[in-house]
Amino acid sequence: MIKKTFKVSDMTCSNCAMKLESLEDTLEGVKEINASYHRLEMVIEYDETKLNEEQIIMAVKKKGYTATAA
Amino acid sequence: MSKKQTPSVDPVVIVMLGVVFVAVAAAMIAFQPDSNSINIATDAGTMSQLLVAFVTGITTGGLSCLAVQGGLLASSLAHQIEQDYVQHAATTKKAKAAPRSNSALPIALFLLAKLVAYTLLGALLGWLGSYLTLSPLTRAFLMIAIGIFMIGNALRMFNVHPIFRYFSIEPPKFITRYIRRTAKGTDTATPIFLGLLTVFIPCGVTQAMMATALGTGSALMGAALMLAFTLGTSPVFFVVAYLATELGSKLEKFFMRFVAVVVLILGLVTLDGGLNLMGSPLSLQNMTRSWFPSQTEANAVADSPGTAITDEIILNVENEGYFPTTLKAPAGKDLTLSLITDQTYSCARDFVIPALNYYELLPDTGTVQVTIPAQKAGSTLFFTCSMGMYTGQIVFE
Repeated sequence: MIKKTFKVSDMTCSNCAMKLESLEDTLEGVKEINASYHRLEMVIEYDETKLNEEQIIMAVKKKGYTATAA
Repeated sequence: MSKKQTPSVDPVVIVMLGVVFVAVAAAMIAFQPDSNSINIATDAGTMSQLLVAFVTGITTGGLSCLAVQGGLLASSLAHQIEQDYVQHAATTKKAKAAPRSNSALPIALFLLAKLVAYTLLGALLGWLGSYLTLSPLTRAFLMIAIGIFMIGNALRMFNVHPIFRYFSIEPPKFITRYIRRTAKGTDTATPIFLGLLTVFIPCGVTQAMMATALGTGSALMGAALMLAFTLGTSPVFFVVAYLATELGSKLEKFFMRFVAVVVLILGLVTLDGGLNLMGSPLSLQNMTRSWFPSQTEANAVADSPGTAITDEIILNVENEGYFPTTLKAPAGKDLTLSLITDQTYSCARDFVIPALNYYELLPDTGTVQVTIPAQKAGSTLFFTCSMGMYTGQIVFE
């Protein structure tokens, strides 16, 4: 398991954070996501053998946001 | 072959219109002046408060809910509806003609549960408020805090500065996670449960209304206030739930701007009301009155003989406010202020002189006399209604 922080600068409310956290349920290899609208970032704990940074960034993009590795 | 099918008359729209009509009809029944069946509506001050709550709900409250709850909950429901439709279309050849009763039901159940939850919350807040004696000054601070909260939220929506993001309350993770996972279900209990859970993620305007319910100091009034407000938000929320599938984020972004403007205006009005209730000369009404003293004083003299410099001054308390708005009084001696009401039902009846810590609910028709202790020459005593809407001043010379 690895924990990484991504900057998501286009969140507009706390609902966006909830939307990003919903990736917990759909993205394979994710253990936990903590997204914060206050800090415009999301911390994701995942299994690096099943998931990589690019896949995470793409999944975030599908939700309508832009993530960059912090 | 996954072509999206759109029926010509969507049952969701029909139910949506039904909710609008029911909401309007309920409002008309609840707010008719001669209604004897509903006790709490017989008092016109209460009636106007409920009407304001309803209108707030149907305008900014509903839109604010869109910004906070709409994305997650409405789209979850819309997704469920979409799934119901696709399933129905897959199993029925006459998909276009078939009614989609199941698709409208979740939203109706969701709104009903939300209505019940917020009404109960209003009762609880009102009951808690009955144990707190809110003086005009306490209420003034509460209004100022709510005003600042609303202005901060509007500035956050406009993305003015990162600091304003902290005006958005982030619900605890375990709650959002629980709501999200519950939203996946497709049974009838799910939308009901989701509707009940919305009390944990109230929007800014809802939070302001909750504070108002607390301030009523009555379980019945608190429940009625939150019922009127949530009833008002229901049609808007219904539209959102429907349009979420059609317009998605485009609609959300457009409404966000609109909500920001409305919340900013409401925030400024609330803040100004709080300043009025404190008797602050810095409120917009009190400042602008002193900017044009000749006009208000001239009006005062023309409107009432009570503006003459005697030991008794007369103030007419009317539905539209206080007349005259500026009274002149002799300095250095006690005097009597006669407050005259004549079928006055607005909040102007709740008369407050903040500097004297004087508060009185005046009779709808009659005269109440207040003794004003001697004041220094050149000083000003501000008076206001309990909501900080109607104001005036006594100038001592």
